[in-house]
Amino acid sequence: MPHAPVEDLLRTLAPQVLGALVRRYGHFDTAEDAVQEALIAAVDGWPRDGVPDNPRGWLITVASRRLTDLLRREQARRRREDTVARWVLPEQWRAPAADGPPPDADDTLVLLFLCCHPALSPASQIALTLRAVGGLSTAEVARAFLVPEATMTRRISRGKQRIRDSGLRFAPPTDAERADRLAAVLHVLYLVFTEGYARTAGPGLLRADLTAEAIRLTRLTHRLLPDDPEVTGLLALMLLTDARAPARLGPHGELVPMAEQDRTRWRADQIAEGIALITGALPGGAVGPYQLQAAIAAVHDEAPSAAATDWPQITALYEVLRGMSDNPVVALNHAVAVAMSRGAPAGLTLLADLADDPRLADDPRLPAARAHLWELVGERVAAREAYRMAASRSTNLAQQRYLNARADRLADDPPADG
Amino acid sequence: MKYMILLYGSQRDYDVLSGRATDRPVMSAEQIAAMHQHMETFHQALAESGELVDARGLSEPVHARRVRVREGAPVVTDGPYPETQEVLAGYTIVECASFDRATEIAAGLVDPDAPGAYVDVRPVLDSVEDLGG
Repeated sequence: MPHAPVEDLLRTLAPQVLGALVRRYGHFDTAEDAVQEALIAAVDGWPRDGVPDNPRGWLITVASRRLTDLLRREQARRRREDTVARWVLPEQWRAPAADGPPPDADDTLVLLFLCCHPALSPASQIALTLRAVGGLSTAEVARAFLVPEATMTRRISRGKQRIRDSGLRFAPPTDAERADRLAAVLHVLYLVFTEGYARTAGPGLLRADLTAEAIRLTRLTHRLLPDDPEVTGLLALMLLTDARAPARLGPHGELVPMAEQDRTRWRADQIAEGIALITGALPGGAVGPYQLQAAIAAVHDEAPSAAATDWPQITALYEVLRGMSDNPVVALNHAVAVAMSRGAPAGLTLLADLADDPRLADDPRLPAARAHLWELVGERVAAREAYRMAASRSTNLAQQRYLNARADRLADDPPADG
Repeated sequence: MKYMILLYGSQRDYDVLSGRATDRPVMSAEQIAAMHQHMETFHQALAESGELVDARGLSEPVHARRVRVREGAPVVTDGPYPETQEVLAGYTIVECASFDRATEIAAGLVDPDAPGAYVDVRPVLDSVEDLGG
C-alpha cells in the first residue's frame, strides 16, 4: 500500500467525503462507489496538477457529480424496466429510540460503526471497513487478503446490499446498543491485525501492510474515542505485538519463537508508546480483554531476556482473562504461562484438559504447546509426534517449517543418548 | 405581504448548467459566471431594500425522494421525476408592499434569453384562517 503524501491525505479524507455524501444524499452503496471514483481521479490528477486548495471540497464536488450520474443511470434503467425504486421506511426510522437521539459523532466513526454492523458477515465487515473507512481500493484489499479481485468485489457488494436491505441508517448507535457495536468494531480491527500478523495461507508469514493498516485505523478510532479503555487497550496490544515483528523472522524467512528472538531488534518506540497507553488505560475502570492482552504483551516486551520474563504476573493476567470468556486459546496460553511459572508438569496437566475441546480440534497451537512442554520435561518421542501433528495442522508455511525442524531436531538426537 | 417566487427546471436544465453533455448546448463558463453575477446583484438589491426574506436553490431532481404512506407504512420513491419534467428548482421569498411589486421583482428572475421561460408568483398566507379566503 502506497505511502506517498497524496495517498495518505486521500485516505484520511476518504471517510469524511463519504460521510458528507451519505449525510446529504443517502444511497450509501452508490455513494461509496462515487467516492472511490473521485479518489481514483485524485490519484491520477493531483500528482500531475497539484493538490487543490481545498482537497476535501474538491473530492466532495467530484464525488457528488459522480453520484448524480450513477443515480440517474440507475433510475433511467429502472424506469425502462418499470421497476421504480420504492422502499418502505424501516421501522427503526419511525419509532424514536427509547433513550433519545444519539449524540453527534464524527462521520468517520459513524462509518466505522456502519461497516462493522453485526448484520454483516465478518468477511464483508472487514472488506467494507478497509475500503470505505481505510480508503483502499478493491484491488488493494484483495491483494492484502490474497483473494481474486472479483471475490473481494462480491464481498463488498454483498455487504453494501445488506446495509441497503436492512435499512441501516447513517447514524451513530444509540446508547443502548453502543457497547455491543463498539465491541464489533474492535473485533474487526483486531481481525485485520491478526490477519496481517500471522497470515493463514501462503508462503510468507508477515503482511506488514495489513498490520500497519489495522494500527492506522485503530489509532484513528482511539483519536475519536480517547476515553474508551478498550480502544486504548487494543491499540496498545497492536503496538506491543507489532513491536516484535523485526525479530520474528530469521534470515531465511523462518519463524523465530519469542524466547529465541533478538530483543535488541524489537521496536523500542512502539513498546514505549504501547506501555504508556496501557498504563494510562488500566486504572480507568472496567478492565476488558484487550487491555489484559495488552498488559500481557507489555510484560513480555519489558523483559530484558526470555529468562527474565515475569511469568507469575503473566499467569495472573491470564487467570483474569480466563474468567472473562470461555476461549480455548486463552486457556491454552494460560496453561503455557502456568508451565513457565510453576513448571512444565503443571502446564501439561492443564493442556490435557483441553485435548477434547472440539474448538481446538484442527488448531496447531495445542499440539505445539504440548510438544514444547514435553520437550522441556524430556518426553522426546511424545514431543516429536506432537510437533509433527502441529505442523500437519498448520496452514502457514513458515510455521510448518519451524515445527518440522523442531521435530527433526528431536529425531536426529536419538533418545538412547539422553 | 409575503410572496414566493417559484423557479422551475428539469433535469435537462440542470445538465445545461452543470456542463453535462446532452442534446442541448451547455452553458459556457462566462455564461454561468454572468448568471451568478446577476443573481447575486439581484438579491443584494432586494436585501438592501429590505424585501428579501429567503432565496434558495434546490438540488438536481435526481436526488428527490417522494414519500407516501401505504397501509400505515411510509413508502419512499427515489428519483420520482422523468428527466424532462419541470419541477421546482428554487425559490425567492420576498416581503413587499403589493402583489404588483412582487410581480415586478419576479420579472427579474426570468431568463430573457430563454423563449418560453417563466416563474410563478404566489402570495404566502399569514395563517391557516386565510385559507378560507
